[in-house]
Amino acid sequence: MIRLQSIVKSYPIAKEQVNVLKGIDLTIRQGEFTAIMGPSGSGKSTLMNIIGCLDRPTSGKYLLHGERVSQLDENELARVRNRSIGFVFQQFQLLPRLNALKNVELPLIYAGKPKKEREELAIDALDKVGLSDRMNHLPNELSGGQKQRVAIARAIVNQPDLILADEPTGALDTKTSIQIMELFTMLNQEGTTIAVVTHENEVAEHAGRIVLVRDGILVQDDRTAVNKGEDAE
Amino acid sequence: MSVIENIKMALSSLRAHKMRSILTMLGIIIGVGSVIAVVAVGQGGEAMLKSQIVGEGNTIELFYMPSDEELQTSPDVMSPFTQEDLRAVESIPEVTQVVATSSEFGSVRYRENTLDSSITGINQAYLDVNELEVASGRNLLSADFLGGRRTAIVSASFQEELFDGKNPLGQVVYVHSQPVEIVGVLKKPTGMLAFGTNDMYLPWNTWRTVFATNDISQVTLQADNAEDLQKAGKKAAGMLNQMHHTEEAYQVMNMEEIAAGIGQVTRVMTIIIGSIAGVSLLVGGIGVMNIMLVSVTERTREIGVRMSLGATRGQILFQFLVESVTLTLIGGAVGIMLGGSAAAIVSYFAGWPALVSWPVIVGGLLFSMVIGVVFGILPANKASRLNPIESLRYE
Ligand SMILES: Nc1ncnc2c1ncn2[C@@H]1O[C@H](COP(=O)(O)OP(=O)(O)OP(=O)(O)O)[C@@H](O)[C@H]1O
Ligand SMILES: [Mg+2]
Repeated sequence: MIRLQSIVKSYPIAKEQVNVLKGIDLTIRQGEFTAIMGPSGSGKSTLMNIIGCLDRPTSGKYLLHGERVSQLDENELARVRNRSIGFVFQQFQLLPRLNALKNVELPLIYAGKPKKEREELAIDALDKVGLSDRMNHLPNELSGGQKQRVAIARAIVNQPDLILADEPTGALDTKTSIQIMELFTMLNQEGTTIAVVTHENEVAEHAGRIVLVRDGILVQDDRTAVNKGEDAE
Repeated sequence: MSVIENIKMALSSLRAHKMRSILTMLGIIIGVGSVIAVVAVGQGGEAMLKSQIVGEGNTIELFYMPSDEELQTSPDVMSPFTQEDLRAVESIPEVTQVVATSSEFGSVRYRENTLDSSITGINQAYLDVNELEVASGRNLLSADFLGGRRTAIVSASFQEELFDGKNPLGQVVYVHSQPVEIVGVLKKPTGMLAFGTNDMYLPWNTWRTVFATNDISQVTLQADNAEDLQKAGKKAAGMLNQMHHTEEAYQVMNMEEIAAGIGQVTRVMTIIIGSIAGVSLLVGGIGVMNIMLVSVTERTREIGVRMSLGATRGQILFQFLVESVTLTLIGGAVGIMLGGSAAAIVSYFAGWPALVSWPVIVGGLLFSMVIGVVFGILPANKASRLNPIESLRYE
């Protein structure tokens, strides 16, 4: 479902164009659970942002569901992010003034769903992450692990087929990290494609595939873990 | 995403910073409030001036302003109207009533006391056009007018000064050594600008016996509406000039011209003061822009999150625009209420009608919205142009 071909991303640093991604080729199939690893500054987040349609590559070809992303305009990209992709961030990125339920409802608002349906879907999503008893809590009334579960509920509420998580356990302790990864594993078993950026081996172990990025280049693609994906393209 | 959704969101984010929102609104409140107050007071003042000219009862006064030559041929400047004039004017079809009065200033004696008073002879039509409200005793009746009875009504201050506040009803006073019986006392005038004068009103027939003259000093016409009135006035003046062989000695005011002139003056005043007040609205609008810019910067992360969840740039723009419009609209509504109240208070003390009309209210609200859009578009545009990745990283 994701096909990246010689993706280059450069940033102007001190009047020079510096290539952060130097020609990435990567294919991720429907239903795969991929961990992206690599040293700090190697370009993992940059790659994730391109996959998530938050950013455009400087050059290269990106096909999502067989569609050329570079041909989509801003509004179509927003629609793709809304319908097909769920983001989970290291810093949770919940809106502090909205309670858990309202936070989870946000993607549905932009999907134009009516209020009643929004509430039902959001409660379902919170139920799935085991937080239906906390839906009226504000983010600062929740623990780190709970916040991340709310964020995951928000990512899955619109039933996207792709979840992108950039260091989702980076701010959590080991025990909570394991709970979060088990949640991802469960979602993956239900058919959602998942890509997780991480520095921790224990976290990467949950994935069926580990991709190693170093200095903007894909240096290793390890599918030794059982391949749960089926080729969708 | 619906407008209602956006308004709810705007309200909740305004509530999150209550103090700041209120202070920002204050600029708009003061701006809109002062403009509304100025316009309302101005319109009220204009209405009052106009009503004083036209007269509430649709009346117009005939003037006698002879030229120098005419003055030499007609000696009696004070009583220029005759009985025939009156009958001629009464025959004009547009005229519904003709009020005739004759006035002299003279002394009135009661026992050993005397009082200087204005003494006015009135015809019965006078009572239909001018309200003379009687506080005690009775008003003049048809019988008084027709029979030329020696009866009179007097003002409250007349009663106080000549009778020392004692009951004057049934007492006989002497005007020009002629006895007149007081049958009624008028109500005290109310209002800030009203002060008591010594007045005595006699039936016109009585007045002419007492002063031994047939002439009338003042003639006022009444018609059904302002248009007829103007017509009747012109006809009457023409008629009288013909009868007296004068050129332009008899005249009427051209009320339309005067009303238009007054309207122009008050409108110019309103525009001048209103635009000074409008400057405060401008300052208020800049305050809104300032606060919205701060708000956009503070909520950079929120904007990034919303974009990552699928908000389009247009939706972000709209969200912040609705927020600034909500701010100015609430400020405008409060301003209209406060400005309207201020106008009502001013008008009450000045004694003219407070005019906060619907067009002014609707216009005020629309204008507040425009302010919100004009001064909100820059911050909203800034918000919608943020880069989602950088916004998500914003500390
Ligand atoms: N907007 C930008 N402008 C300039 N340089 C940037 C920008 N964003 C990222 N970079 C650079 O690109 C490189 C890769 O950044 P990226 O965030 O993708 O690394 P990463 O692999 O996610 O690192 P980490 O593990 O620390 O999160 C870094 O050297 C960074 O300085
Ligand atoms: Mg990173």
